[in-house]
Formats: sequence, structure tokens, C-alpha cells
Amino acid sequence: MDESQEPIDSAQDTIIELREATRQYKGRAGEVRALDSVSLSVRRGEWLAITGPSGSGKSTLVNLLGCLDRADSGSVWIAGKDVHTLSRQELDQFRAETVGFIFQQFHLIPYLTALENVMLAQYFHSITDREEALASLRRVGLEDRAAHLPSELSGGEQQRVCIARALINQPPVLLADEPTGNLDAANQEIVTGLLRSLNQMGHTILMVTHDPAMAQMADRIVELQHGRIVAERKLTATSPV
Amino acid sequence: MSQKGLSLPLLLRRSLLHRRGRTAAEMIALTVSAAVATALLTLYASLDQKLHHQFRAFGANIVVTGQSSAGNAGLPANALEIARNTAGSDARVVPFVYAVAQTQSGAPIVVAGTDMAAVRQMNSWWQVSHWPETRNSAGTGGPVEVLTGVRAAQALGSDRFELVYNGKVLSAQTAGTLRSGDADDSRVYLPLDIFEKWTGLTPTTLEIQAAGSAQHVQTVLQRLRRALPGTEIHAVHQLVEAESNVVSRTRSLMLSSLVLIAMTVAVSVLATLTASVFERRRDFAVMKALGAAQHRVIVIFLAETVLLALLALVCGYVLGCGIADLIGEWNFHTSIAPVWRVLPQVALLNVVVALLAAAIPMRLLRRLDPATLLRGE
Repeated sequence: MDESQEPIDSAQDTIIELREATRQYKGRAGEVRALDSVSLSVRRGEWLAITGPSGSGKSTLVNLLGCLDRADSGSVWIAGKDVHTLSRQELDQFRAETVGFIFQQFHLIPYLTALENVMLAQYFHSITDREEALASLRRVGLEDRAAHLPSELSGGEQQRVCIARALINQPPVLLADEPTGNLDAANQEIVTGLLRSLNQMGHTILMVTHDPAMAQMADRIVELQHGRIVAERKLTATSPV
Repeated sequence: MSQKGLSLPLLLRRSLLHRRGRTAAEMIALTVSAAVATALLTLYASLDQKLHHQFRAFGANIVVTGQSSAGNAGLPANALEIARNTAGSDARVVPFVYAVAQTQSGAPIVVAGTDMAAVRQMNSWWQVSHWPETRNSAGTGGPVEVLTGVRAAQALGSDRFELVYNGKVLSAQTAGTLRSGDADDSRVYLPLDIFEKWTGLTPTTLEIQAAGSAQHVQTVLQRLRRALPGTEIHAVHQLVEAESNVVSRTRSLMLSSLVLIAMTVAVSVLATLTASVFERRRDFAVMKALGAAQHRVIVIFLAETVLLALLALVCGYVLGCGIADLIGEWNFHTSIAPVWRVLPQVALLNVVVALLAAAIPMRLLRRLDPATLLRGE
């Protein structure tokens, strides 16, 4: 891994880089190192699967990559920016522009329609554009369900709305946390197909999963244990688009 | 399907309608706050007027008499007119003149001459069986209708009697009896003009009922002293002080009640808002994860709260005006009209109560950790 202190902008194909990133929490039994000097580099357009048992540091890594948390030491570079140097407000804006979240439990706002849930990401990013939001829903095959509330949609449909919401601001990084964890086999297939096509269109995908079959879809698998990367496997011979 | 983009008003509308139960609970609490504040502030604004109206029933609060040291206790001829002009149009001024006459049996009896219509208005607390309605001028031969105190009536023994003053006889007929509980019960009251013709005496006392606060009464008192030099003018202190005390204490009581009720409502709204934030913590966490700055999430939450406070203000103001009117009818037997100038005060109070109640939930919102919440931990 690259250990230099140069910003990654110089390496055009690297979109995420962690350098000796450490995050520790205060627990009842003292300090817990959830992430311990992790260094990791992700290329633009790569699909990276992050696996590991519970408590291995996957959540902490996702939080750092999603700009929802900050490292105590080391640095996290995303799209050419050291996120540690960003103010809280800049970080909010950076998150809106750079990261699209796909949650295991979808987390759609229950009182907004599918279309409005997609527009919510636009609302916090800049301005809402109904046509653009509809196009995003069309992309996941749900244009005809635009006016439905989440309670009127199946689990698979809700996850697809979640994906449409993640895509609406065209973020370079998609962060998927167990994206098929709550879906039946048929819907798993649909969502997996969607992620594959998004990756083929150039989206960088970081996916946390417990599912080995799902992990096999990625270009590379990183395995965490006790806050450290213990294994790394490249699955494809060719570079992603 | 909605044809509009997503906006703050749409977000607020959807959110409030979706949480109907919580919205209703917050609305009811804030409506009660606005209604009570409106009722109390409306009553507070009308309190002076209503209580002064009540106190007017207790009679005069200023007495003007001729100076006893001058030997002649009579008032200047134009004293009544000066007093009326000086005391103001809303004041009541009643002249009195007293003489000791004799009954047919030779017993002395105090006879008073006064303006019957004016004394009826000022001393409305007098218990009178029947006020004299007609009167005959002295010297026409018919008896004069008089108001006889209950003790005087007992002494006279008959409704029809004659009174003698300086050898001049007045034939009188009791039109009604008076019971006041004091010296008035031993007197016979007759119309001033008849009294003056019969006795040749002019008013020696003016009883004045000045409307307004204790300060206003003092101001009237000073003005009268300047306008009527050579007379003795004093306030009926017990009445003025009692009125001032009652007004002041009633105001304190109302303000204290208002503060207590506002605090109670604030606690109730606080509980509802806290529960609301707790229930929706994942929604707010999603907003943060989607890039919403801290202040935008707080603005959404506060806008909901302020919107409810303003909607509750409208309902509460209408309700409060009705309550104030009912209280006015029950306690003062008069209608109390809505007072528009209390509306900004009630609005301010309601918004402040809502914002105070939102302070702790806002703290919860600030400390929301989207990373933890969205992973379901």
C-alpha cells in the first residue's frame, strides 16, 4: 500500500486512501481500538467487499469512509481530500456530494413517497429536480411506484428506492452496508444486478457483507479482524472500468 | 403523484400529518397554553375597568365639604358645576345638604336634600324598596315623595307625615324605605330643589365617585383642591386603598397563574417533543447521513414546533376570548370583548413556551449519531 504523505490526487485512479487510520472508543473496560492502524487504498471504479466477524471493525471503517466519523490518528483521503481537515459543515456537504449510502434496513422516510425520498438527498445537496429524481427511479425500475409510500413497497422495492436515492447526486462512491441482508432471493438477485451494472458504469462501490456469495461479486475482498486487515484477495484479473 | 419538488413546507406538512397522534397532543397542549394566556391577559387588560365598575357600587371615594373653620359650612354656589367639570365626565358627583327638622310629635329628625337620580346611580348598594318616581313641588299642597330610612320610618310611624323646619311645614309621603346599615337609615331624603325651597339651605357636601385607579383618584383629588379653594376635600382612603389592593393582588394572582400554566404546558410539550424526536431519531439520522447540516435538521424540527405553536395560537386565541367573555359574564355580569393588543403577547408566549420545550429535544438531535443509529445499534 502507498505509504507516502502525498495527496492522492496525483494518482488519478485512487479514490479512497486510509493511512494508518486508528479509531478508538472509551468503553467500560477502558479504551477499545475499533480500528487499529489500517491502511487501505481503493481505485476509482473498484468494487471492494469488506468482510469480517461482528466486532471486527467493519462498522467503524464504514463510518470513516462515509464521513460519519473521524479517525483519532492517521488520515482518510476521499476523492483527493483529507477529510480530517474539513470542518463539520464542509464534511456534511462533502458527504452529500461524494458518498451515496445504501443501507441494509433501507431507512426511507416513512411519510415521504418513493420520489420524495429520492428528492430528499437532492434537497440536502442543492436543489430538488423532480425529473431527475424520476429518472433515478426509472434506473432502478421503479418509476411507476414513485408516488407510493415506503409502507406500500416490498423490501426489494424499498432497497431499490434506497439505491436510487444514493445515486441521485451522482456521488463517486457508493457505500453499501449489507445491501441484500434483508432481502429474499429474488430481490437479492435484482439488487445484485443493479450494483453490478452501477459498478460497470464506473461507480466505486464499498460493500460490507457477511454473505460470501455476495462478496464474490466484488473485485477485491478485504477481511477485518480485531480492527486490522488480516486478509486481502483480488478476485478479477482485469481492472474495473 | 406530487407535481412539486421537495420543500420545507411539504416536509413539515407530511411529517405533521403522518404523526397525527403526536401532532394532536402538541397542538392541544399549545392551544391550552394560548387559550389560558389569552383569557388571563384579556381579563388582565379589562381588570381595572371591571373592578372599578364593581367598586363604584360602594359609593363615593372623594368627599368635598365647606370649611368648618369658616363658620359657614356651605359650598360655593357653583361648586357642583366646578366639581363635575374637574372630576371628569366619567365621575359621578352628588350634592347633599342636611338639616335637623322636627316631626309632628316634636322629635328631631335629620332630613337630607340630594339629587335622587344621581344618588341612586352612585349608591347602588343601598337597599331601597322603591325609589321616589314623582315629586310635587313644595307649596302646591300635595305631599312630597321622599325616601325614608328604615329607622326613621319606625320613628315616624306612618308613611304620610309632616316635617317642620324653622316654622315651615313640609307634607311628605314615603315612596320607599332605605336600608344601608349606617346613619342613612335614620334620615329622610328628599329632592334637592324642594329641600332648598323649604329650608333655604344650599348643598354643604359633594360626594364624588372618581373612576379609575388609586393614582387617578389622587390626581382628581389634587385637581379639585386647586379648583375649589376654601373647601375641605379628602379621599375615602379605606375604599381607595381597598380598591388598589384588590386590583394589585388580582393582577399578581393572574400573572402567577399564567406563569404556572405556561410552565406546566412547557413540561407537557417538552415530553411530547422529546418522545417525538426519540421516535424519529432514525429519520433525522438519515437526513444527516444524506448530507444535511446540523442546523438544517434543527430548522426542520423547530419549524414543525413553531408552526404548531402558531396554529395553536389561532385556536387558542379564539377559545381564550370565549373563556374571558364567560368569566366576565359570571363574575362581572358584563361581556368582555376580545383585546387585540394581547395577541402579540400570546403569540410570543406560545412560541417561547414551544421553543423552551424544544430545547432538550434539540440537544438530543444535536447528539444523534447517524453511524450508530443507521446500523441499528
